This record gives sequence, C-alpha cells and structure tokens, in this order.
Amino acid sequence: MNALTKFSLLVQGRFGRKRLRRIGLGSIPFIFLLTLWQMNTTFEWLAPVFIPSIGGVIDAIFILQSDCGGVWDILSLDNTCLMTTHILSSIGRVLLAAVIGIPLGIIFGILAGMNRLISTVLEPVGVFANSISGIAWVPLAIVWFGVGWMTTLFIMLNTVFWLMFFNAMLGTRGIAKVYEQSVLTLGGSRWNIFIQVYLPGAMPSIITGMRMSLGFGWRALIAAEMIGGDSGLGFMIFTAAEEFNVEQVFLGVIVISIIYLATDHYLLGPLEKWTIHRWGLTWKPT
Amino acid sequence: MTDRLNRFLAFWRHFPGAKVINLALVIAGLLTAWALISGSIDNPDRYLPSPLAVAASSVDMLYKGLLPSYFGDTISRLLLGSLIGLGLGIPFGLLLGLNRTVSDIFFPIMNFFQSVSGIAIFPIVVIWWGNSDKTVLAVILYTSFFPVAFNVLSGVREVPLRYIHAAYTLGASKFQVIRDVLAPGALPHIATGSRLSIGFAWRAVIAGEMLAGREGLGWMIFTGQDADMTSQVILGMLMIGLTWIVLDHYLLRPLEADTIERWGLVQR
Repeated sequence: MNALTKFSLLVQGRFGRKRLRRIGLGSIPFIFLLTLWQMNTTFEWLAPVFIPSIGGVIDAIFILQSDCGGVWDILSLDNTCLMTTHILSSIGRVLLAAVIGIPLGIIFGILAGMNRLISTVLEPVGVFANSISGIAWVPLAIVWFGVGWMTTLFIMLNTVFWLMFFNAMLGTRGIAKVYEQSVLTLGGSRWNIFIQVYLPGAMPSIITGMRMSLGFGWRALIAAEMIGGDSGLGFMIFTAAEEFNVEQVFLGVIVISIIYLATDHYLLGPLEKWTIHRWGLTWKPT
Repeated sequence: MTDRLNRFLAFWRHFPGAKVINLALVIAGLLTAWALISGSIDNPDRYLPSPLAVAASSVDMLYKGLLPSYFGDTISRLLLGSLIGLGLGIPFGLLLGLNRTVSDIFFPIMNFFQSVSGIAIFPIVVIWWGNSDKTVLAVILYTSFFPVAFNVLSGVREVPLRYIHAAYTLGASKFQVIRDVLAPGALPHIATGSRLSIGFAWRAVIAGEMLAGREGLGWMIFTGQDADMTSQVILGMLMIGLTWIVLDHYLLRPLEADTIERWGLVQR
C-alpha cells in the first residue's frame, strides 16, 4: 500500500465514496465550460467585446475596487468601492424587504387562514397581485416613488408579502381542527391558539414560502434595479452593458448567481429541512 | 340578532352562487376604494387615474387598434419562446436522465443554470445582438428551457429502480422501458416543470419587452410611464395580470393537477 492509495482511502473515508463520485462527475461540465472559455481567449474565436477573458473578469473586481480606502469605505457604501457597494446595497434591500415583508405576510396569512371574511377579501387581491409579475410594477412604482431605493423596495415587498401570505394561509388551512379544539377545551384563548397551534402548524409551509419568496424576490430585485434603481447588482450590469463593458457584466452575472446559490443551498435549504423535521406534522387524525 | 346573522352566514356558505357574488362584491369594493383614493389626491392623472380614466384609455387604445396588436405581439412571443423551450427541454431532460452516470454529470450544471435568472443574463445577450427581437427570444428560450429540463431530469431520476428492473425482467427492450416506464413516470414532473417554465417565460417576456424596447404589453407600460400616461400604465398592468390569471388558473393548473392525478406514482 503506497502513500497515494492511503491518501485516496483517507479522502474516501472522510467525505464518503458516493459524495466524492457525485462531486467529481458534477464538476466535469463546469471544468469543460471554463476550458472552452479560456480556449476562446487563446484562439480568439469570438472577439473579447462579446466574450471577455477570464483574467479580464477577475481584473474587473480590482478596477471597480481600485480607489477603495478600507473597511470603513466599504461599510459606508462609498462610491470608490463600487463592487462592494453594489453587492451590499442589493443584499441590504433583500434583508429589509425580508424583515418587513415576511412577518407581515405571516400575520395576515394566518389571520386569513383563521377567518373566512378576511380571506374572502384578501385572496382575490393576492391572486391578482401575484399574477402581475414583479417587474410589471416598476413603471408605476417609478411614478409614485421616483427612481431609487423606495421603488426597488416596493417591488421586493410586493413579491415577498404575497407569496408569504399565500403559503401561511394554505399552511393554516391544512391544520386539523382537532388541535384547535383541544387547546380550546383545555381553556386556551384565541391568542394561545394563534401562538401554539397555527404558527407552529403552518411553520413548514411558511419556511417553504420564505425560500420561494426570497428566490422570486431576488429575481424581481435584479430586474427592478435595472430599470428603477440607482445602485445594486442589477444596476451595475445594466449600466456596464450600456457602456459595452463586458467584463463587468460577466462579473455581475456570476456574483448574482453565486449569492443566490449560496443563500439557497447553505441557508434556506437546510432551514427548510430542519423545520419540516422539527415541526412537520406526520400524524394526521382521520 | 346575532343568531339571525349567524344563520344567514351559514346559509350563505352553502348557497351555490355565493362564491361568484362574494368575488363580485370584493371587486366592486376595491374599485370604489380606488375611485375614492384617486378622487382625493392632487393630480390624479399622474399618480392614480380613476377607473373611469383607465376605461377611457382602453377604449381609446382599442379604437386605434394598439391594444390588440400589443397583446398579440406579447402572446405570440410567449407561445413561440415557450414552445421551443419546452420542445427542446423535455427531450433533453429525458435523454440525460436515461443513464445514471450521465445524469450525475449534468445534474449540478442544470441546477446552476436553472437558478440563474434569465433577466440577469439579459445584458450579456444585449451586447451580443443589440435591442432586437432575437434578444428577447433568446432570453425567453433560456428561461423556459432550463427549469423544464431540470425538472424532467429529476423526474426521471426519481422513477423507482424496481419498476425499471421489473420491466427488464419481463423482457422489455430499452425503448419499451423508456416509453412505458420512464416517460409516464416523469410525466408529473414534466407537467410541473412546464408550468414553472411558462411562468418564468411570461415574466421574461414582459421584462424583455421593457428592456429591449420591442412592441408589446411590457413596452406599453414602459413607454406609458415615459410619456406620463399613467392610465395606460395601469391598463397594461391589468391586462398582464388578467392574462396570466386566465392562462394559469384555467389552463395550466388544471392540466398539471390532472396529469399528477392520472400519472402520479403513489409509492407504497
């Protein structure tokens, strides 16, 4: 047994054979695409105006950050640190919309699930608001709020709130009446039911809605920033495209996808699994 | 008094036409609220035109023939883009799913591309082809191809191995396994993926028309805002919303539900 075999066995034992095989096979197309991209630069098939070189895309980070003074400049969204300013302002908008939209959506959704009158009024409004896809609100939002922070936040909130509303409502409706009645029998108040039956009962559906609304919200945000924004990743790639600055466009698209994939894969996906494991009702009374 | 009210509500709940009447009441209430708000603000023509003004602008645009032409443009783009997207995506997903190793190779990259939104790649396509119909169509194709291909791929992967083995044991050929086991087994995923794809494609059509400036409903609301004709913007939004409700609730959702009911595998 030589050192190489030993090492390979160690790695296999550490990460698992199946997982290693999956990762190895899955990386083939990515490596192939990167090679093709590099070959395009080397053999000059398509002009760099259409497909930039890999080095150029990496250089674009340093060009955008060239005059950056340090951590304080990054955090204060200074115009000298363009790259981080755009990233942070996009993420900030998502967070703000999540902090406002998610709790409101949950509260209204559970109320609509509990009360027929509220759901009769709010459901048609929600169906209609959901069918006007996020970006179609942009022109009206520009008329109301002007170009900038408020418009993009409005678009995000619109997407996040209604998706959360529907998921919380459907989750609440799916809870068996027995749970509510047993809490009432034991002397619980309406408030007790809300906190101890509806909220935990609807939790798996709410978390699924959170994952969905952040995914749709992120797409809507990028589109909204392109037309109605004055900062953010969508704004960055759109203005770069107008100046035919392909390196920055490619960089922006890659950053957008990495942020989305990382959030979905490492934060929302595990959260959803954990919630279904912890709160999901497997037992249903018949 | 409350007793009578409760009895009336209980009766109303089971009255056959109650749902439609409720919906009509809600819509009437919303329209009234809209009219009241628009009457009470300064400069309603700019910020929130009354329902009557929107209706007048729709009559105006119908008379000029603009509304049907924009609507037709948008719908034909959606149909063309999503039909090509589905036509390529479904067979592609099926083919990739046939072999475990091949599907293991392509699964991550398909997942990557289906989660990169089409609108984000829009600026790249604009650099390639400028503000043309080709750009819009390419973005629609991209957004409709990957979700359906990814869904079909995961659908084929989820068909239980024992069904495939059972068919082979009974002497089926490779082609018969594809036709009788894999394709029907993946049908629910094909239906779900198609609905998802068409939904994304619809958003991409609107966004593409706005950004690339091609005539259609998206272009109509975009130029309406530029020209300070807010009633035209609201009319366009109403059209977009209503079209999608009709398409989704009366065509795609029933189709998906029926497919899942007929072909869905209930595993025991």
